[in-house]
Amino acid sequence: MKINTWFGVLGIGRTGEVLEFELFSKDIRELVRCSIALQENRQLLRQHLPPAGFDLKTAALECGFVESSAEYYSLLHEVMVEAAKLQVSEAFTADQRIIQAVEALDDINETTNLLSERLFEWYGNYFPESGLSGEALALFIAKYGSRENIGSEDPLYPRARNSMGAKLEAADEVLLKGFAESVCSLYERKRQTEAYIQDSMESIAPNLSLAAGPMLGARLISVAGSLEKLAAFPSSTVQVIGASKALFKHLRARAPSPKHGIIYSHPLINTAPWWIRGKIARALAAKLSLAARIDFYSGEKDASLVEKLEVKVEQIKTSNPKPPQKKQDSGVKPKKRRGRK
Amino acid sequence: MPEVKLLSDGIFEVTKDKKQLATMNLDPGKVVYGEKLIQVEGVEYRTWDPRRSKLGAMVLKKFNISLKENSKVLYLGAASGTTVSHVSDIVPEGAVYAVEFAPRSMRGLIGLASRRKNVHPILIDAGKPESYAHIVEPVDLIFQDVAQPNQAEIAARNASRYLKRDGYLLLSIKARSIDTVANPKEVYKGEIKKLEQAFEPKFEVLNAKDLMPYHEDHLGILAKIR
Ligand SMILES: C[S@@+](CC[C@H](N)C(=O)[O-])C[C@H]1O[C@@H](n2cnc3c(N)ncnc32)[C@H](O)[C@@H]1O
Repeated sequence: MKINTWFGVLGIGRTGEVLEFELFSKDIRELVRCSIALQENRQLLRQHLPPAGFDLKTAALECGFVESSAEYYSLLHEVMVEAAKLQVSEAFTADQRIIQAVEALDDINETTNLLSERLFEWYGNYFPESGLSGEALALFIAKYGSRENIGSEDPLYPRARNSMGAKLEAADEVLLKGFAESVCSLYERKRQTEAYIQDSMESIAPNLSLAAGPMLGARLISVAGSLEKLAAFPSSTVQVIGASKALFKHLRARAPSPKHGIIYSHPLINTAPWWIRGKIARALAAKLSLAARIDFYSGEKDASLVEKLEVKVEQIKTSNPKPPQKKQDSGVKPKKRRGRK
Repeated sequence: MPEVKLLSDGIFEVTKDKKQLATMNLDPGKVVYGEKLIQVEGVEYRTWDPRRSKLGAMVLKKFNISLKENSKVLYLGAASGTTVSHVSDIVPEGAVYAVEFAPRSMRGLIGLASRRKNVHPILIDAGKPESYAHIVEPVDLIFQDVAQPNQAEIAARNASRYLKRDGYLLLSIKARSIDTVANPKEVYKGEIKKLEQAFEPKFEVLNAKDLMPYHEDHLGILAKIR
């Protein structure tokens, strides 16, 4: 029988003795390539699988691939280290890059909010009447520094003239301007990262991107860990992705299963009346799950997916025009969430 | 002068201030995960933290891991190599096939392997043992620490292909990765039963102890093919 090994193709007899062999060259790159191909190509491997308990090292000595046991291990070692390096470098695929970008975006948002609040409070001492916050405030400070530098053409000029704010000394002005510039560049970075995610999603997951929106789609991939994993999840899991705290509670305490994954930020759900959100979430999750599968396995864009989803949502809306009378099933009315988009 | 006591082949108890588990450093001068290096009469020992290593905990719990300096080991769930480094110390003339499927952990493992000639890293799913049949030879010990729901099956499938008839299987079972709610004791019973009956080969369980106080909700199992 013929078998594949990392050092060549062998023909072996019933007791494992080597009858014939075709050895690979002792070139590390070549050996690495063959070893990875065997690892990853199941068909190739299954065809000529060494029998259980087959002694590779003895065979390698028998057919003269190596002179000694020491040489066998030292060559094997080099091949395995190089193969692992190559595989690790190739594992950083497009979806993994998107995940890094999504996480970076979360960090940027958190940092931006924190620093913007600091700037608001700090600069409030110098120009409390500005009515500005966030990026607008940062841009204002980066441009003018002290409110005394505002030109008369600026609509804020009258307020600046009559401000009760403290006088901004030169040293403080330099500091605040620099700080404001950093905040401005964070806002810039945020837009850049979002654009990157949008473009990448469009190219690696066009269907998911279309059905979920690029940001939600990217978040789903991020929580799942990869596009492959997302594609493998049943749609009931996609529906609750991101509700991990609630999900954990459900598993531990057998509490009711959570209904609110991150897909609840999708406009089809968050603009729908509360009593049909669960139904829409189920329909949406099914389509997103399908979209992820198409993206992972074929990559062809299929616009009919979204049309079908919209039809389905319309159906749900027309057949459930009013809230249910009695509190049936366990459908607890979701609390109104304020101040969150 | 620190005192050194041999516990079993390649495994020592070094006493300096307090008693500590240790192995002889195969890569002198180099620390892997923050452990201590202790020199005694020209030999460098690396302390082995049982809280960072299930195998270390098993040694302290008197599991007989019976490794010799030329033993071959298949290590499933190598992570970045904390424990692999000690196994590598114990089998300086042997081989450690270190299987890990997370690229991120593999980065650390590759760093370790490039300094230790007896560690052969394999980036692959331990649940598909055929996919490394072209690489791995029959071994004296399979150590598995994968924290997966189907860990008993993974162990059996690897043993059927790679474990020598007189070799041993050492397994760390994490109760929570099998059932997040059930009582760990019940989970352990179920896993032992699976090893004894559910797959081919069937195992004889030689020793099974929980790994407290070093690891919570973990069971160590030593088994051999029946
Ligand atoms: C608890 S950690 C192992 C720690 C390690 N034994 C030590 O003591 O240094 C479990 C590791 O198993 C890996 N793992 C889980 N399932 C696996 C599988 N099917 N194949 C390969 N590795 C796996 C995980 O990525 C993780 O790194």
